[in-house]
Amino acid sequence: MEHVIDVKGLSKSFGSVQAVNDLSFSVGKGEIFGIIGPNGAGKTTTLEMLEGILKPDKGTIDVLGLDPSRQLRKLNHHIGVQFQATSIQKKMKVKEALDLFSSFYKQATQKEHLIEILGLREKLNVAFEDLSGGWKQRVTLALATLHKPEILFLDEPSMGLDPHARREMWSMIRLMREQGCTIVITTHYMEEAEKLCDRVAMIYSGQLKALNTPPELLNEMKAHYLAFESSGLEYDYLITIPGVVRVEQEGEVFKVFSEDQQITGYHIFSYCHEKGIPLHNFKFEKGSLDDLFVHYLEKEQTG
Amino acid sequence: MTSIMRLASIETKMFFRDRLSVFWTFLFPVAMIWLFGSMFVGNEMNGLSFAQMFVPSWIGVNIVTTSFFTLGTVLTGYRETGVLRRYQSTPLQSWKILAAHTLQGTVIFFISALLLMVFGMWMYDLTLPAYIGSTLIALLVSIAAFFPFALFLTSLAKNTQSAAAISSLFLNLMLFLSGATFPLEIMPTVLQYVAKILPLYYVIIMLRGTWSEAPISAYGLEVGILLGIAAVSIILATRFFRWSGK
Repeated sequence: MEHVIDVKGLSKSFGSVQAVNDLSFSVGKGEIFGIIGPNGAGKTTTLEMLEGILKPDKGTIDVLGLDPSRQLRKLNHHIGVQFQATSIQKKMKVKEALDLFSSFYKQATQKEHLIEILGLREKLNVAFEDLSGGWKQRVTLALATLHKPEILFLDEPSMGLDPHARREMWSMIRLMREQGCTIVITTHYMEEAEKLCDRVAMIYSGQLKALNTPPELLNEMKAHYLAFESSGLEYDYLITIPGVVRVEQEGEVFKVFSEDQQITGYHIFSYCHEKGIPLHNFKFEKGSLDDLFVHYLEKEQTG
Repeated sequence: MTSIMRLASIETKMFFRDRLSVFWTFLFPVAMIWLFGSMFVGNEMNGLSFAQMFVPSWIGVNIVTTSFFTLGTVLTGYRETGVLRRYQSTPLQSWKILAAHTLQGTVIFFISALLLMVFGMWMYDLTLPAYIGSTLIALLVSIAAFFPFALFLTSLAKNTQSAAAISSLFLNLMLFLSGATFPLEIMPTVLQYVAKILPLYYVIIMLRGTWSEAPISAYGLEVGILLGIAAVSIILATRFFRWSGK
């Protein structure tokens, strides 16, 4: 696959805080590439270095054959950026914003096309401050894609959106990809990463913890667990069973995360059989990226 | 060029959508002239009538308010809320942003100046400037000095509140110590020296002068000082332009 972004050994610190630490990855043309991590993991810092508005301390970045922080103006003709929680002028109307941002580019823009596919026509004369969160995101997405960028950077695009608006945002992002755009997106919603992204980079404390397609990440077993209800079992016993990495308990409902579900299951069954403890609703679960993420976080804290 | 014109025209439209800034920029100075008029009209000062003294000075004060509030504080707000950051990822260069806002400020200032002049002519028998071309040059020189000066100073502020504080400080200082509102002659000598380090002092001399006494050529020193301030400020404002507060 042809790479549009190549990052090697990227590091950045702010004072004594190491925001990004020796990060390396590549993004292929036409991918939806997700960067996920908790708040403060270094997602936005990484993105801003790719966009060229932050200079890395160490490492190399190649975006479309350019060095972002040195060739920012040239790069800006080819990339689109939707920032996290930034605003445009409150009293600016949607139509004015589209016209203004169109005037920044020499090439013809796809303004009319975007008005059509994003359904902006009914809002053209509405001031930005009077739009709901979902509409604001549509407008800023339109502003970021007016010039048909080759790469679109989206920083937490669905933050603060209700579930319906979030799904609409996803379908718009997919639409952009169908038009040939490569998309780099940060999020802390694991569901979003699972449903939207082709590949996901998990970062925590500025370091890359895992990088793969969502199904492959989940197949790494670390997120698999056994779920059941029981009144006679205790945390202290369950954690000692072979293969168990982590146990979550809420009342009588247990989640036992295991590297080997079969062995762990066997031990639980035989223990309960001997002691005559009843088990209910026993299930083999695949786990979600959310579970995988918690797994990495806890490993980080205990290690 | 099209992006500068586009940005300037949209910013001008947005200015008029904000009732509060329209009031402070256009009506407040007229109200002040009217207020001072009710106190001082009929008194001649240095051979000038009330309107000849005060209308040019309030036009000068309006250059200060436009530069610090309409331009500087607004741009600081844009820096704070990420408006400028969004521009940063487009091909728009920083000098074009400054140029567009300068253009917008100039348009708004000239409207306010015209309003003050018409009010003065209607209420207090003010005449058109005696050297109208000179007055225009004086205004442009003053704008060239003040706009970038204010844009640079307010860009040092972290947020809108501190930008407004910086702006109010400069405005009040100049309002009272530049001779715009109170005659300097009645002030202690020390304050008269302080006045001379405030750029508005030179603006007022030029504006009053070209309005009633002599063409711009008589004010070489004032023009020179203001152009010097302009050159330094333009360099500082463009060199140290910041896209975001971080």
